[in-house]
Amino acid sequence: MKGSQVKRLIAGVAVTATLLTACGANDTPSGGTANGGGTVKAGGTLYILTDSPSQQFDPAKSSNLVITALSLVHRRLTSWSVAPGKDTEIVPDLATDTGKASDGGKTWTFTLKDGLKFGDGTPIKSADVKWGLERSFAPAFSGGLTYHKDLLSPGLAYKGPFDGGKELDTIETPDDKTIIFHLARPYGDFNWVASTPAFAPVPKGKGAEADYGNHPVTSGPYNVQSYERGKGATLVRNPNWSATEDTTRKGYPDKIEFQLGQQTAVIAKRLIDDSGNDQTAFGAPFVAPAQLVQITGNPSAKSRLVTSESGALAYLSLNVTRGKLADPNVRKAFQYAVDKAAYQVASAGSPDLAGEVATTLITPGIKGREKFDLYPAPPAGDPEKAKQLLAQAGLPNGLDGLVLVTRNENSYPEKAAAIQAGLARAGIKVTIKTLDTDAYTQEVDTKENPDYDLALSSWQPDIPSANANIQPLFQSTEIGGGGVNESRLNDPDIDKGIIDAQSSVDPADAAKKWVELDKKLMEKSVVVPLIYTRNSFLHGSKLGNFVIGKFPAYVDYRQWGVIQ
Amino acid sequence: MRTAKFVLTRVAGMIIVLLIVTFVTFLVFYVLPSDPAQLACGRPCSPEALSLAREFMGFNVPWYQQFLDFLGGIFSGRTFGTGATAIHCTAPCFGYDFQNNVEVLTEITDRIEVSFSVAFGAAVIWLISGVGLGVLSALRRGRPIDRITMAVAMAGVSMPAYLAGMIGITIFAFALDVVPKNGYVSITDDPAQWAWHLVLPWLVLAFLHAAIYARLTRGQMVETLGEDFIRTARAKGLTETKVVGKHALRNVLLPVITVFGVDLGALLAGTVITERIFGMAGVGKLLVDAIAGMNLPVMLGVTLFSALIVTFMNFAVDLFYGALDPRARLT
Repeated sequence: MKGSQVKRLIAGVAVTATLLTACGANDTPSGGTANGGGTVKAGGTLYILTDSPSQQFDPAKSSNLVITALSLVHRRLTSWSVAPGKDTEIVPDLATDTGKASDGGKTWTFTLKDGLKFGDGTPIKSADVKWGLERSFAPAFSGGLTYHKDLLSPGLAYKGPFDGGKELDTIETPDDKTIIFHLARPYGDFNWVASTPAFAPVPKGKGAEADYGNHPVTSGPYNVQSYERGKGATLVRNPNWSATEDTTRKGYPDKIEFQLGQQTAVIAKRLIDDSGNDQTAFGAPFVAPAQLVQITGNPSAKSRLVTSESGALAYLSLNVTRGKLADPNVRKAFQYAVDKAAYQVASAGSPDLAGEVATTLITPGIKGREKFDLYPAPPAGDPEKAKQLLAQAGLPNGLDGLVLVTRNENSYPEKAAAIQAGLARAGIKVTIKTLDTDAYTQEVDTKENPDYDLALSSWQPDIPSANANIQPLFQSTEIGGGGVNESRLNDPDIDKGIIDAQSSVDPADAAKKWVELDKKLMEKSVVVPLIYTRNSFLHGSKLGNFVIGKFPAYVDYRQWGVIQ
Repeated sequence: MRTAKFVLTRVAGMIIVLLIVTFVTFLVFYVLPSDPAQLACGRPCSPEALSLAREFMGFNVPWYQQFLDFLGGIFSGRTFGTGATAIHCTAPCFGYDFQNNVEVLTEITDRIEVSFSVAFGAAVIWLISGVGLGVLSALRRGRPIDRITMAVAMAGVSMPAYLAGMIGITIFAFALDVVPKNGYVSITDDPAQWAWHLVLPWLVLAFLHAAIYARLTRGQMVETLGEDFIRTARAKGLTETKVVGKHALRNVLLPVITVFGVDLGALLAGTVITERIFGMAGVGKLLVDAIAGMNLPVMLGVTLFSALIVTFMNFAVDLFYGALDPRARLT
């Protein structure tokens, strides 16, 4: 290990330890003692303050992670076990286990636990899980996560169960407990896919109305008592949910109130102020860099700031279809030219709050991930090495006239300026093109021949599998048409590798294949990984059990409670 | 007869204005590089899923057909999709919000109470205080009270609404803790709490708007007080209160009412920043949320609603002129 790597390792450990101390100092586990006295117990009202004007409780339309708001209301076949410092594990939720694969990964069988009930007291049957999935195919209920759709009905030939009452014949329910999925191709991660929202049960025959999400039939710890768009939602206990049977949710608060559409600056002020009901409130938006400065100067607020140890991969895509960027040797120069330290400062003011420098495409917290660095350099980069590589590739005078496209939100213009300045040191001249989010999607992700050389973006996998890190960003099917293959890599070898890794039902074998792909892609240098973006959240002084696992970089809504 | 003709002409003009606003807004939103179906497509979004979403939402036809469908919906309603999951938007259908599963008109009408409560309360305060301070300044021209009033007015005119709101909430809600930090209570639930939650938004908005009225009133009053008819009134021995209150003020109010009509109309259509800062779900916040979420049907519906309110308020001001100024009456 080189000196710089040792230094980085020590710095990383120190940063992580500092953050974990800051994060966890005030977070009392169940039964523990809080700094103000008391323990987290069942009872009380928890307030969620959010800038979002709506909260989607329709499982077909939701793209919520398994650990956030939807988990309060709905259960799925499988779930995730998250913990600080540990890779995220798959665990059963409604099912007795995490699924059994057969037929080389083309058939998956799940068995429901005994005694499961909906919020209205009726039993949950395998047919209800099937109905929920069928319902997600209806065009009226699109909008959620769709990983299951192409596996169960390639080309979306199935259009839902409502008109004509046709069933989806790739899902079999031989009895009330068993559900069998016949996939179009082998898929080793299907048990992870079974943790996405569409795998929540919907009572068979129900849910035809467009506003089903405002009054869903629940299976989680809470029922939706009321929902008002733009104003709020109130969740109250579901008497038919069992805390002893559901091992993934604590369900501590008696009541959870969402305050929707709040101004982020006011949310931060209220939580810093920490008075009245705000003592049991949680701010759902990430704390913005400007507010972080204010919070770190306030000991009380600082003790209530929780920061993830890792997070979404921030990266710079190199459009391999454009000019000199088609040459991998030219692309390799970018790995050294970029100033990741400046990017950290532009992101959150400091490396600690921004997140660790990234060198791999698979993010921390994903089981089987291997940490490696094919282009070792200090965080600020090595512009001289970049110049050498460019000269070797026939570009002794550098590169000129490149277009860097990015969004106009979330400090992206400042981050793009940091990238621009870093590249300029190596003689790579870049013009920044800033677009609003929708225009960015249209220009970068939808057009056939978009006008950009570099694109600045970030990616948070929807499921804790390396598949979700790699496939959406690099498979050729994801070029244009709404896909996010922003380096526009069309490489049959990579495509084959992705299909091969997806087909493996042995987690160890699949992990090995994904790591190989990670290395291959980095060797081809199609993107420059920048940082694993940390997220910070603020909460009131009377809330405890705040857990942020290694993945995802969000608070686990299933664990928290009110300190009594 | 002349009144009826005036009203009919104005109403016809309003309809033409609204049609133009609708057409231009529609064109701007739909020519922009945005695709509402993309947001409803899901993740990952396959070309098949995108095509199905477009078809369901009615975005799979040319833009002019979409415009005609939109106009038709206002008069006869619309249906999206078919069968059990079809969505019916009853006439007058101002569009359907697919992100929140509700008719756009329902979203607007649900929020009118909040926007009207904020706007009317603030308008009363700024009109009284703005005109009052303007008159006082004019009568005490060049004295300290005039200078102080105009300095405060200048601060109000030049201060961004966001800054004024944040300063107000920081001082009165957080530091002094004398008013609620945010939220809205319906007047039908608890009138006292309704007013209590609105005090700070009213004062912030009034501070921002009263400044314009104070300066406008002062300028008009100074000019009017120099007119011959004022000298005549004083020569006839009328008290200064009558000269100012009855003769001068009536003239001063004509331009004030004109500006007030436009301002109130714009405010009734949503106090964008105030509603956002104080966490009030009014029409302004609906628009901000729609812009943030690229919710085109809602953006179109709220723009049309705003245009309707502003044109109506202008019409109301024209009618009110007659009551205020006999020279403007139609006989």
